[in-house]
This record gives sequence, structure tokens and C-alpha cells, in this order.
Amino acid sequence: MFHKTLSRRNVLRASAQGFGALALESLLQAERVNPLAAKPQHFPAKAKSVIFLFMVGAPGQMDTFDPKPGLKKYEGQKLPESYGKISSQFTDGSTPILSSPFEFARHGQSGAWVSDLFPHLAHRVDDIAFVRSFHTDSVVHAPAMYQVHTGRTLMGYPSMGSWVTYGLGSATDNLPAYVVMPQPEGTPEGGTPCWGSAFLPAVYQGTLLRPGNTPILHLKGPRPEERQKRTLELIQAMNELDSAPGDSGMAARIASYELAFKMQSHAPEAVDLTKESEATRKLYGLDRKETVEFGTRCLLARRMVERGVRFVQIYSGGGPVSVQWDAHKDLVANHRKMAGMTDQPIAGLLADLKSRGLLDSTLVVWGSEFGRLPMSQSGNGRDHNMHAFTMWFAGGGVKGGQTVGATDDFGLYCAGAKYNMRDFHATILHALGLDQHKLWYLHNGRHEKLTDFGGNVIREVFG
Amino acid sequence: MLELALLAALAIDPKDLKSLEARKNFWSFRPLARPEASSIDELTKAAAPADRRTLIRRATLDITGLPPTFAEVQAFLADRSPNAYEKLIDRLMATPQYGERWAQRWLDVVRYADTNGFELDAERTHAWRYRDYVIRSFNASKPFDRFLKEQIAGDELYPGDDEALIATGFHRAGPQHLVGGNQDEELNRQEVLIEMNAGVGSVFLGLTVQCARCHNHKFDPILQADYYRLSAIFAGTEGRDVSIASSGDWAAHAIERWEWERRIAPVNAAIAEIEKPYRERLRAEKREALPADLKAALAIPREKRTPEQQTLAKNAQDQSTPSWDEVLAALSPADREKRTALRKKLHDIELDEPPPPPHAYAAVNNGKPHATHILKVGDHKMKLGTVEPGVPTVLALALGGAAGGEVTREASGRRSQLANWLASPSHPLTARVFVNRMWQFRLGEGIVRTPNDFGALGERPTNPKLLDWLASEFVASGWDIKKLDRQILLSGAYRAVRPVKRRIDAEVLRDSILAVTGQLNTKMFGPPVKTPLEPEVYDLIFTEYEADNLWPLPRDPREMQRRTIYLLNKRTVRLPMLANFDHPDAMSSCPQRAESTHALQALSMLNSDFMTRAADTLAAKLGKADPVRDAYRLTLARDPRPVERTMARDFFAKGGTLADFSLALLNRHEFVYVP
Repeated sequence: MFHKTLSRRNVLRASAQGFGALALESLLQAERVNPLAAKPQHFPAKAKSVIFLFMVGAPGQMDTFDPKPGLKKYEGQKLPESYGKISSQFTDGSTPILSSPFEFARHGQSGAWVSDLFPHLAHRVDDIAFVRSFHTDSVVHAPAMYQVHTGRTLMGYPSMGSWVTYGLGSATDNLPAYVVMPQPEGTPEGGTPCWGSAFLPAVYQGTLLRPGNTPILHLKGPRPEERQKRTLELIQAMNELDSAPGDSGMAARIASYELAFKMQSHAPEAVDLTKESEATRKLYGLDRKETVEFGTRCLLARRMVERGVRFVQIYSGGGPVSVQWDAHKDLVANHRKMAGMTDQPIAGLLADLKSRGLLDSTLVVWGSEFGRLPMSQSGNGRDHNMHAFTMWFAGGGVKGGQTVGATDDFGLYCAGAKYNMRDFHATILHALGLDQHKLWYLHNGRHEKLTDFGGNVIREVFG
Repeated sequence: MLELALLAALAIDPKDLKSLEARKNFWSFRPLARPEASSIDELTKAAAPADRRTLIRRATLDITGLPPTFAEVQAFLADRSPNAYEKLIDRLMATPQYGERWAQRWLDVVRYADTNGFELDAERTHAWRYRDYVIRSFNASKPFDRFLKEQIAGDELYPGDDEALIATGFHRAGPQHLVGGNQDEELNRQEVLIEMNAGVGSVFLGLTVQCARCHNHKFDPILQADYYRLSAIFAGTEGRDVSIASSGDWAAHAIERWEWERRIAPVNAAIAEIEKPYRERLRAEKREALPADLKAALAIPREKRTPEQQTLAKNAQDQSTPSWDEVLAALSPADREKRTALRKKLHDIELDEPPPPPHAYAAVNNGKPHATHILKVGDHKMKLGTVEPGVPTVLALALGGAAGGEVTREASGRRSQLANWLASPSHPLTARVFVNRMWQFRLGEGIVRTPNDFGALGERPTNPKLLDWLASEFVASGWDIKKLDRQILLSGAYRAVRPVKRRIDAEVLRDSILAVTGQLNTKMFGPPVKTPLEPEVYDLIFTEYEADNLWPLPRDPREMQRRTIYLLNKRTVRLPMLANFDHPDAMSSCPQRAESTHALQALSMLNSDFMTRAADTLAAKLGKADPVRDAYRLTLARDPRPVERTMARDFFAKGGTLADFSLALLNRHEFVYVP
């Protein structure tokens, strides 16, 4: 009567589609003792883990992967009146067109367009599927970030990583299932709800991971190891004494201390980059001041998925405007700086995953909360554009070397098929072998899903 | 059957109405049917009662949110009078902690927090008065119908009553998006209304009315028109901080403020003075680097600029304004040091900022309710027909009335009528929903196990007779919360042996640790308090500006040891220990806490500064003669058993310290479970 690690109804729904009663019981039992026990996919799929690279503040699509040479012709002019009124957070669409100050070229066998912001990533385009026609519903950072992370512009919904760990559990006991690495200078506008579990149990929330001695909050105590071990032994002995037979909650609590101990001994090794070869360190740009910080986080991401972490979320940008992609003015300096910090590390990550055979099982996603307008702000910057922007996918069963979707001549609106965040999430779940409609949780009388009433899997991404 | 004209006015399809007529007999919409019974025990089959030691621990944790002391347990065990348990319950229910514990439960359901949420997540200066109002209401056993009416329409129903005005903060408890720049005012307004509707729907009706925002409810007989009719009740309602200060308060504040500003102004000026030359130099450099056309525009005197030149000049200003971090980066080491010292001084003075005169964080009428349209798929850009205020049709029908017309179209009085309708003794949901919350709070699971959903997708009552008996008793008692609570706490069901235990709630855990280590400050009420944040967590506070004073701690360290309900609950930055133990996120109504168990809980219970301090403090309280006995008495309110003596001896023999031993006791199942 009193038990409720997860309500039975929700467990049944989440993990046991099509299972026999017996298998279901054992699954329930495993779930009670360790809610993060690995669970089967709904259908076979390649991706086992996700690395989500989120560019806080929003890069301009016409400055990165979606060239709009036609803008040159309109430079300094207003957007044609046929477009009607465009409103953004700070501008009203009346400012002049600003063509991209960056040079574009085609790269790889696929001939994908990449601007000169990303000379390293340009070498990896054959592994990447670019989708140029995503859109969100808000021109304000936080609501749009919530939509990208949780599917809604409002607060209070579980993040993608939470849904994925809820659906698949974890492939490691030694590390958290879902880790998050924000920009050291500060947090993204949306803050912690971007990796929160909302109404899902706290076990599914994202865990902060930091380079250095204490990668996980409270990983280390004030006691020397020997004392810590003895204290833990005493706790476990006393808790065995306290455990009522058949109380799975108490058994789970004992197990959680074992897991904590494992984490304590394994996590420092997992973030120890000293064993990485010189070549690997160079690949991620750990030898350069500009790239060492983001490169470290990308290298950590590889080490995490290598060890079975299910979902890794990395933020480029956060805190002061000068450390975000939010180029309301001085687009050139801003994007050069942000791309300079991330280009080589991201390219390095893709190359490294591939050479280790991890790219097949790791879905890498690059994106932001919206794009930027073709019109200028303050003369040399751009305001937010929720109507169209580019995100890209690599690995995890994605067919690289292709571009899906398109924008109009100005890069303002999507042209043809356009994809909302429900489609984005459906696609990611699909890559992981999760059926968006089977992954749900009963909350306040509603079968809540990441994709709400459902999105369309962008099939082309998988070829 | 209603007139077609009326149906049209209600935006109801006659087909829908027919279906509603059929579905008004759904179990939760039917009138309360009080079974013949004189007590809960007649309606339940309870297991054997738990022993007295268990009972006092259970009741004390449940009722006060704190564990019993050794002396309290001894006194209870020694009390051989037949009504010893009754006396215990009465004693506990009379403590001020009763209201604090109940209030947290209520705040979960209304998703209360002290900040707005979203990127700025600013603190709501006066919101805490609503929290205090809830605590006071439960302690005073305010009749539930009055409690409901004050929260829904305190401003209308009890004019001049500050307490009732504060209660309307209920409508503003949820998150709200407040941000700069161009605003879609209609969208913002819709978001406010969504929160108001969700509040009434989840908290009082126990129905998922919010599911009918985009289309007729898929499972319940709630029409999309019903959603917007409910919304129309709030069409003239807006959030406002209303002064409840006396003229004396204002006068005193003005003087305090003036004196404080006199202290802080010179420090701000001194900082500006240091920055000025750097800012000017940076601006000059940036101007020098501007493109020729911008430079030229700037060179033209302001009044002589053409509109085009004005734009260019504005762009030039934007482009040449240095950011705060550029200025800081440019400072010489000596100037930076001076500035840092001044910032420290500034923050110290900021701690003394006089609080504004008292205001109610209220929801009131603006006198001009806007028209309410049904919105296609909930999109404010796709307006369909208008609707007038009203309650859900199916409930109007179930209550025997005709649909429509139960709520006035006047600018004022809409919420009063909603409140009176909800608080009507014959309302089928109000009492059922609340007594179910109460049962769930005390027993762990509700009679309806989906406390916010008494609709089709929700669960059916496991004991419908009990539910209706409790609800009928509750209404008949004059909605007496304490009376019903007492009946439940005295019931055999509550006193029964429990095969499976519940973990204590996150805030009970923190408060209990403070209590048994002698650190708890039981001071009640007042503005929310900040406690130390781990540096990693501090970094999660969003700001685009200087991050050197985002979490000012109170001067008096005792303030940081207050009960969790008084801690600042910031929507985007939650205390790890609370979040790890499933303290709700205050984004949507939390009818029942999740109970997850994971390694991060263990890590924070072993290694956090909070726990280290608790263990050290506890160890320091232990006497030399028998520290093990003392530790057991303080944490678990009992003496150690022989096997536990042996465990302790072995532990110390291997070099274990008293602090480590104390830490272990605080990590024990027995400490963190309700027996």
C-alpha cells in the first residue's frame, strides 16, 4: 500500500511493452532495486547513447550551414514587403538585410556547405546530416530552450535526457546515467530545468559533471578513504539490520550506497584525461588555449559514452552575453569567438568516436534554441529567428553527408517541409529505438510524453 | 434540454450536451452518499496496531515533520492511561509545527515557489506572505470552505481583510514568464490564464480541465468551451502587489530607505569612478574602429541627423558601448583590487536594504475583463467565438442546475461565484478531493490514487464508502480540517503495522537532521532565507552580469538553520539535497511526491558540507561516559540494542570516529523512514 518508487502503472507502460507477466514481474523487481537498471529498446536501433551539443544563444543559420548568397543583393535594403511584419525580441523586421560576413564552401564527398567558421568540422561533413528547417515557437531564449529540451515552451516538463534514461535506464553502475556539462562562465538562460526531470522521479534528472577532482557534486567527503569505507560499512550493516524482509525500497536504498561507493571509486578515473594520448589531446584541441576548455568537455563526453553513460549534454555558451552565441551586435567577433572555441573539439569528437567504433552507437546532435534573422540589429548583429534554423545529427544510425530541408532565399522561413520540436524529439527517440508513443508517464491525469501529441520522425535523417 | 439559443451562447454543440447529460453520472460527479457508519474503523479493515514506540515516531514525523525526542518517547511509553495515544495526537496537533507540515503539503499542490521561473527567475518580494497565510490557516484549523473562498476570491468576498487578500496569491503561485524586449501581450496573458485555470482545476476540482484547452477533453466530459468559460471567470483578474501597509509603515520606510541610500550611493559612485576612465577609453577605441558611415553619422550633431543618420548613430552607440565584462577585464590590477573591496562593501550594505512596506502578493480585479474567445488548438492567434464566464457544464448539470448563468458577467464577482459554487456543501468534488488529499497525506496513498484526477483516466476509489463517509463528515463538521485529520490519525488504519515503509520527505529529512543535532531554529514566518550553496550550484544561477553576489547569505547564521519551508525556493536553482530526495519542482501541481532512490542521494548524505557539519555537531554533543547511548537517544530516541553496541565497539576499535558514527546514524533506514 505504501510503495511507490515508480507507480506500477507507469513502470508497466515505460518498460514492458509486450512482455510476459513473468518477465514483467522481474523487470518490476529490478526497477525497484535500481530504477536505472538497463531496459530493452522498444525496437532494434543503433544508437545507445546521445551527446547533445547545445549552442546557447543561437548561431545564425545563414552564417554557419545554410548559405544565402542571395542576401548580398539585398544588403542594406529592407526585407521585401511581401514578407509582412516580422517580430523578434528586440527588432521589428524593419532593419536592413545583413548578408553573411562569412565565406561558404562545399566540403567532403557530399559537398555540404559549411562556412569558414568551422574549418575542422568541414572535414567531418560526410558523417553529418544537416536539417535546415527546424523551428520553435518563441523568440525568447528560455521558453525556446525549454521547447528544445523538454518539448514545451512552458516550464515543468522532463528533459529529453530524463525521458531517455527513464526509457532505457543506464548501461553503467559507476557513473550517473545522464550528465550535463555547462559552460564554466555560466548557465544557459533556461537554467537547470533544461536537464531537470520535472514530474519524473529525481533519479532521472541530469547530473552536473565537471572536469577536475570532484567531477560530481558531493563525490568526495572530508574523510580519508579508509574512514569513508568503514563508515559506509557501518551504515550498510545497520541498514541490513533495519530492513524489513520484502521491503524493496529499503533494499534499493542499500543498493544506492553500493552504487555511490562505486561511483566514488570510478568517477575520478572516468574524468582523468592524463591517460589520453598526446594525439587524442591534440585532436580535441587540448593543446590550444582557445579550445582547451570546450575540448576537455568533448573528450569527457567520449569517455562518458565509452563507459555506458546514456545521455551527455554539453553547452557552448552561458552566463555573460560575451560567452554566448547571442550576436545581437558584432556578429563577426561573436561567432568567430564561439566557433573558435568549439569547432576543433566537435570535429575531434566526431573523428575520435568514429575511430574507436563508437560513432555507430552514439547519436551526436548539434543545435540551439532558434536561429537568427537575415536582417541586422545594431548594424552588425542579428536578432532571434524562431521560424527557421539548422541543427545537425551524426552517428547512431544517421546517414551522413546529406542535407534535409531548406529555407527561403533569405533564410527567414522554412521552404517546403518544416520540422518542429516534436519532430526533433521523435527523431532522437527513434534513433534510440524508443517509440515516442510508448514512452509515457502518467502525471496529473495526463499521459505525458516528450512529443506531447506526437511528432514525425524525420526519416531522411536515417537514409 | 437546454434551449438551442442558450446552447449557442454557451458555444455548446447540442450533440455534446446530450453526451454530457449521459456522463454526468460518472462516479465522482454524483452527490455524496454517506454510508451508515460511525467511524473510519467501521469502513476499513486495518491490520494489527503498531507498537507504541512506532506510533509516536510515526505520528510525530507525520504531524510535525520532525522526529520525537527521547524524552517524548519515554513519556509516551510511560503513559499507561487508556487515552495516551489520543493525548499524543492532540499534543502534536496543537504544536505550531502542525501548520508548517500541512502547509508544505498544500504548497506542493499549488506549486508554490518564491521566484518567477524562466531566465530571470526573479524573487517575488511579497509571495512569502501567502506561505505564512497557509501555515496560519492550518494551525488555526480555518474551515476549508473559508480557506477555499479566500484563495479564490478573498479580495471580492472579504474586502478590507488583509489575510483574505494575501490568500489570492494562490492564483499567482505558479511560474510566470517575465522578460524584456518585444512582448506578445496576448500570449503572456494566455499563459497567466493557463496557470489560473490549472490551479482551480488541479487543486480544488481534481480534474484535468487543462486538457480541454486545445480540444474537447479526450476522456472527461469537459468541453473546450468549458475550459474557456472557466478562463473567462479570470478575464478581469490580474496579479498585483497590493499595499497592506499603514501610512506609518510608508513613512518609516521612506526614512529608512533614504538613510540606506545615503550609505550605498557613495560606494556605487566610487565604483563608477574607478570604471569610468576604462569605459571611456574602450568606447573611444571602439568608436575609432567603427565603419566610416557610422562615424560620420555620429559626427553630425544630434538635432541635425536625418532619420537614416539617427539609425546609424544609434547603431554606432550600440556598437561602441563596452560590455561590463570588457570594462572589468581592462582594469589594472590595483584598480581591480580597489573595486573588489568596494563591491564587498556594497554587498554588505545591500544586506541592510530596508524591506519594502508590506504588500499582499495578490490577484485582484482590474475592472475591465477582456472578451474570452475559444482558441483553436489553444492558439491565441486563432480565435473562435466568444464565451461568457461559467463552470464546467457537466458539473452544472450534475448539481441539478442548468448550464450557464451560474457566474455573473459583471466585472467583479465572477470569482466569488466560482468560490461559492466550489464551496457548496452539495458540490460532488470539492470535499472528496480534499479528504482524499488528507487520507493520502496521512496514509501514503489516497483512496483515489490519482489525487489530482478524479476523472475517467484517474483511478477509481479503492474504498468509495470511506471516501464518501469522510467527505460527508467533513462537510457536516463545517469543513473542519483538524477534526477530520484527528479522526484519521486516531483510526485503526493509521495506527496499523505497515509492511512497507515510506521514506521521509526531503524537507523532513533536512529538518530532522537539524533538529537531532541541536541546530534547528524553529523561528516561524517571514521572508525566505538563503542557505549556503555549493559553488557548483551557485554557478547555475543564471545571470548575464557580474556573478559576485547572486546568493547573499543572512548575517545571522542561525537563520540558515530554519525549517525548509522558510528557505528560498528558487525555481531554476534547487538545493541538491532537496531535489535529490524528490522535493517537487514547483512547476506543476505535485499531488504526491515521487520516491526515488539513487546514488546521488547517498553521496550527498555522506559527503555534503551540510552532513559533515551535522555529524560534527552531533558528535560534540555526546557525553564522554556513554557516547553511543547518547547518539542513539539523540538520533533515534532510543537506547542501543546489544547487537548495536557490538557494532559500535567494532567500529571504534577499527579507528572509527564519533563524527563518522554520528553520520552513520543519520544515514540509517530507521532515521529516514516513517515507521
